[in-house]
Amino acid sequence: MKTGKNKRMMTNKQKSIWVFGDYRNYYQNRVTLQLISKAVDLARVIDAEVCAVVFGHNVEEWIMEYTAHGADRVLAIDHPSLTSYSTENYLALIEKLAKQRDPDIILIGATDFGREFAPRLAKRLKTGLSADCVGLDIEPEGLLVQIAPSFGGNMLAEIVTEKHRPQMATVRPGTFKEIPHNYERTAIVERLPLPATLPASRVRVVEYERAAQKGHTIENATVIVCGGRGLGNKNNFKKLNELARLLGGDVGATRPVVYAGWADHDALVGQAGKHIKPKILFSFGISGAIQHTAGLGEANFIVAINKNPQATMMKMADVAIAADASDLLNNLIKELKKRIRE
Amino acid sequence: MLNIVVCIKQVPMVTELPWDEKTGTLRRDLAAGMMNPACKRAVEAALQIKEKQGASITVMTMGPPAAEEVLREALAMGADRGIFICDPILAGSDTYATSFILAAAIQKEVPGCDLILCGAYTSDSETAQVGPQLAEELNMPAAAYAEHLDVSGRILRVRRLVDNFRETLEMEFPALVTISMERYEPRYASFAGLNKAFMETDIPVLNAEALGITAENLEARGSRTKVRRVFIRKTQKENVRITGAAASAVSEFLDRYQWAISAVIGKSIEAEKQA
Amino acid sequence: MQFNPCMKHKLIRNSARSFAETELAPIAAEIDQQRIFPRDVIAKMGELNYFGLQVPKEYGGAALDSISAAIVVEEISRVCAAVGLCVTVHNGVAVYPFLQFANASQKEKYLPQLAAGNVIGAFSLTEANAGSDAGSVETTAVKNGTDYILNGTKIFVTNGGVCDVALIFALTSSPDNKLQSSVFIVESKFPGFLRGELEDLCGMRANPVSSLFFEDCPVPEENLLGRLGDGMKIGLATLDNGRIGVAAQALGIAQGAMEAAVKYAKERQQFKKPIASQQTIQNYIADMATEIMAARLLLYRACERKDAGAAFGCEASMAKLYCSTMASKVTSLAVQIHGGYGYSKEYDVERYFRDARVTEIYEGTSEIQRMVIARSILSQPIM
Repeated sequence: MKTGKNKRMMTNKQKSIWVFGDYRNYYQNRVTLQLISKAVDLARVIDAEVCAVVFGHNVEEWIMEYTAHGADRVLAIDHPSLTSYSTENYLALIEKLAKQRDPDIILIGATDFGREFAPRLAKRLKTGLSADCVGLDIEPEGLLVQIAPSFGGNMLAEIVTEKHRPQMATVRPGTFKEIPHNYERTAIVERLPLPATLPASRVRVVEYERAAQKGHTIENATVIVCGGRGLGNKNNFKKLNELARLLGGDVGATRPVVYAGWADHDALVGQAGKHIKPKILFSFGISGAIQHTAGLGEANFIVAINKNPQATMMKMADVAIAADASDLLNNLIKELKKRIRE
Repeated sequence: MLNIVVCIKQVPMVTELPWDEKTGTLRRDLAAGMMNPACKRAVEAALQIKEKQGASITVMTMGPPAAEEVLREALAMGADRGIFICDPILAGSDTYATSFILAAAIQKEVPGCDLILCGAYTSDSETAQVGPQLAEELNMPAAAYAEHLDVSGRILRVRRLVDNFRETLEMEFPALVTISMERYEPRYASFAGLNKAFMETDIPVLNAEALGITAENLEARGSRTKVRRVFIRKTQKENVRITGAAASAVSEFLDRYQWAISAVIGKSIEAEKQA
Repeated sequence: MQFNPCMKHKLIRNSARSFAETELAPIAAEIDQQRIFPRDVIAKMGELNYFGLQVPKEYGGAALDSISAAIVVEEISRVCAAVGLCVTVHNGVAVYPFLQFANASQKEKYLPQLAAGNVIGAFSLTEANAGSDAGSVETTAVKNGTDYILNGTKIFVTNGGVCDVALIFALTSSPDNKLQSSVFIVESKFPGFLRGELEDLCGMRANPVSSLFFEDCPVPEENLLGRLGDGMKIGLATLDNGRIGVAAQALGIAQGAMEAAVKYAKERQQFKKPIASQQTIQNYIADMATEIMAARLLLYRACERKDAGAAFGCEASMAKLYCSTMASKVTSLAVQIHGGYGYSKEYDVERYFRDARVTEIYEGTSEIQRMVIARSILSQPIM
């Protein structure tokens, strides 16, 4: 701890944690805000400022949001030539800034863009980078402890960049919780000019458009709503389709349900059916027989709804809601319809 | 004729390796190796370019002696030449060091190559970093997560889906592209191809010395990160219990998990602010 | 003998396994129940040299060594024994006699098509009154000008419903009018070549096993394989080789059954713990694994002798006898470990159990194998 402080006093340099402003899916993906929130926690330990860096055209909205969610400083470059995301342009800009200002840590959202952008930046800054972190911690001396998944997420690795600075990590969206906004907050905002010497990007964006949602199969669906006999009857079971539509997911079924004719065999999840790996699994009225749970090995986050709190499925869930499955399903659909502004 | 290099990696065949409690390491020895699935798609992409306009394909890997297997497989699929980088002093390289070593091998063995393809990420470490960092080493324009490639003269057109944006990019050779899992379903190697890859093809093995890599420049250009330990993700789930009337249980649940759910479904489910 | 697989064998195994798991696993149960011969998968397999495993390169084959070929059959059978049967019969007893006994023009005419899988082969010796006793064949081939006219009925012909070329054992007359058996290359498009209904069998149900009828079927004399009267010689040599294939098939079925049983035993909970923690189940698994390993070494030993050009008939019979009895036992234990579910078509072990049984019967019953082995042992000089 002492060494860190002494060094800072000697160099008299304000420590700084940078968060790269990745905003193009802002309404779906709040990773930048989540990172600012985490950076605020880390900054407290090492007495650093949190600095958001944003490039683009008409970025005032993002400057305001980053400030409201916890940034102490915002470095912004606003120019029409930065309208569409460009890895090469953004790299050239941030490389220059980072070399001038020497941040201690740079955090970047593990979006597709971030995961292409960050490794190249790390190379230019001759420093280390850990990918897709699910946890960050900081030691008083300033060493950033990066927890990154390995082997399909079954293992976690604790990674540090000991000698080189900045310390860099990309972080999975949804890992940290954003700080609620406070539009009264203020930050130092530096609106920087586009450098005159910016090299032309060698990659030309010929076309880009927001994509339609892709078609799912149950094996690669990120959201699955599964139903069992606890839903009571075929009509109740069919309502899972409505929930699946709202969540952009697929419907799965247990063996008894398939044999009762409530669902097609294609929907069977389990030992003799499909093995699924959704990010979120809703399990309605399912007790959790091994023939079913054997197919859930890789479900990331399980929400179980069952009248019986002792059911196996309720014990293996991340969230167990003790309620009548059909009743809860109806309420969930109703509430989601209100909340999702389509 | 186009000169293509495909960088591939051998990964363990299973995602869940047994864990040795005593030594705190993964029992890698229990798993057979295979070509990383995205790397196999990169080989397929190269083969399709070769079939369309002719190309010479060099496959390259770095790894322990057993990793030679993935080069043989790529040769069996139709690649023309294999280069194997194998040296114990290179073991444990992070992506920073790996991209430096691969760049050195490419510059030595395939100078003037037009196109470098990599898998977008590997199934064991999933960093997706080697490709982009290799592009930096070689100072090439690059695109990650490509779903489709079109070559016309010296221009490479890349289609990809990133962050829910469908993009078409263009760049001039030489260029580097990483191939996603979405398209380029890889062909199976025929048994004739496999037999030939083993019986009729020599694969040169390059060690660090052959690449001009010394302890000194490994210090300067080598690994930046250090894995302090690897541990099993705790299996004990938090198991949050929610009770009460259905309507209130739903609100409680959604309020508590809205960010996690939004991040997955790509829609905001934040409650309407009370006026 | 090498006890560790070389890199080539490992890669060939991975390659066949990944093909089987991707292309055959999703359909294996369905084609068994519906008795469907999966032509589209077979076509893909043709392009990958599954039907020319040991055919030389100049005829478009893969020119694999015998262990490699056995590994391929093993891996296909591990997932879908009926398709494994198609592959092993085609390679082991339809293509193999061409390689050993056909003349240059026969090879040129048939091998490329066979090796590509465009032409599916069959081998038919068995008749209503002739099985183990190959000397009792009743089908006749009577010379008429430049043709032989075939008459007779072959039964239980593997690939019978789909084969394009069949090797047919028939009685011919020697110049001195003695009856002897000869082998003919008969194309399904020859007039008088008729197929019977598909057999309704216990296992291997996706393989179109049928009878073949020959009614005044003219076969050009250039389609005589080997010389007139070579039937017994060709038959014995071919069956030796076929036994390696059946052994590989049985081994693959047993391997698949054991893997399914191990997976189930680790997942299935009774008395609040996985049944794999019960010593009885552990004993079953230990026996299964040990016998599978022993069977595999015995099989590869026969393959190695074959590639070395040594006599391998006795070793092939040992491998076939041991692998097939082992497969019946292992699949039965796999059903037992699955309990009631193992007796249900919902689980693969039920199919493995049915498929394994016939490996003790065809290509020479276990009783015949013992006879071959005993003869070989008893004929060796006393030290």
